[in-house]
Amino acid sequence: MATRDYALNKLFFDLQDPAKAAEYRAGRAAVLDRYVLSPEVRAAVEADDVGYLAGLVNPYLLRFYFLVAGMPDDEFMKRIRATGGPHG
Amino acid sequence: MAKLAGVYAASHGPLIIRKWDSVSAAHKEALTGAFDELGRRIRAARLDALVIISPDHWVNFFIDNLPMICVGVGETHAGPNEPWMMKEFPHETMPGHPQLARHILDTALASGFEPSVSHRMILDHGFCIPLLKAGVNPLPIVPVVFNDIEPPFPTVSRCYAWGEMLARAIATMPGDLRVGVLGSGGLSHSIGEATMGLIEEEFDRECINHFEQGDPAALCEFLTQRLPQVGNGGSEIRNWVAAHGAAGGRGFELINYSAVPEVIVGCGFAAWNLHA
Repeated sequence: MATRDYALNKLFFDLQDPAKAAEYRAGRAAVLDRYVLSPEVRAAVEADDVGYLAGLVNPYLLRFYFLVAGMPDDEFMKRIRATGGPHG
Repeated sequence: MAKLAGVYAASHGPLIIRKWDSVSAAHKEALTGAFDELGRRIRAARLDALVIISPDHWVNFFIDNLPMICVGVGETHAGPNEPWMMKEFPHETMPGHPQLARHILDTALASGFEPSVSHRMILDHGFCIPLLKAGVNPLPIVPVVFNDIEPPFPTVSRCYAWGEMLARAIATMPGDLRVGVLGSGGLSHSIGEATMGLIEEEFDRECINHFEQGDPAALCEFLTQRLPQVGNGGSEIRNWVAAHGAAGGRGFELINYSAVPEVIVGCGFAAWNLHA
């Protein structure tokens, strides 16, 4: 089974709510404070580290998150392709 | 008894809606023609209810409670909740068919399946894009969620057996309902992983060939071996396998296959030959 960071997946899952997504875009810190993320994971979120996060979350949630976070599609595609990781 | 009046498959990539403007004229024509033909066939079948098998793209379930299979038994389902989908398909609610759904559930339980049950399922784009694009008016729907998006997945052969069970359930449903089955999703695509954007056309063509030939054992063996090696979206072909099971493994007629890079999906559309 794939490795899943529960809190990170929960953050991405919750951001499907448009109101929460708007709050997140207005200021990430207040939202991130509500999730028990390890310092490494939080830093990766703050740095938009697609490759690091890809190993910890469902790929559909990952893709969705970066749409919400405002990363252009082309940029996300470039970064996820650069991970060279396995399928799924 | 009820009658299985049509079995179909269709892709449902979100970019078919979200990025329609960027789709080439040739691909627009192919996709529009395919959805139109699907809609024509569904209308011609004069369905009273449609069983749609689709994944849940994280709108109903999460990793704290993730069913392998879930049947929506509600009188009413919730319409899509993705903002871009709500705009195009503004149905706050959609009708269910609780009698048929419960009969399917009972038949499943008597057949060695233990599905989860939802009395109020949100029908996301996987359920709604085929209806929207095929121009099918919302008819009573029995939604069946297969977990196609978060491993581990149901085995391919179990998905086939689920489809066979569906056909038995429909054949033993009292009354004279005309029931359709639609497998939604596939063919190859890759989302949020290193191969994102890749369409594996050769794999798709092999899949289509297996579905055309029938032979469930060969199809299941092929997919069991190959699905772990292709992009994660290919997992949704499980829903086509269930449709194949519902059709008794009779081959299907391909309506259209188009590898559409603009929507990053190998888009396939088909209807099974129920009278062959």
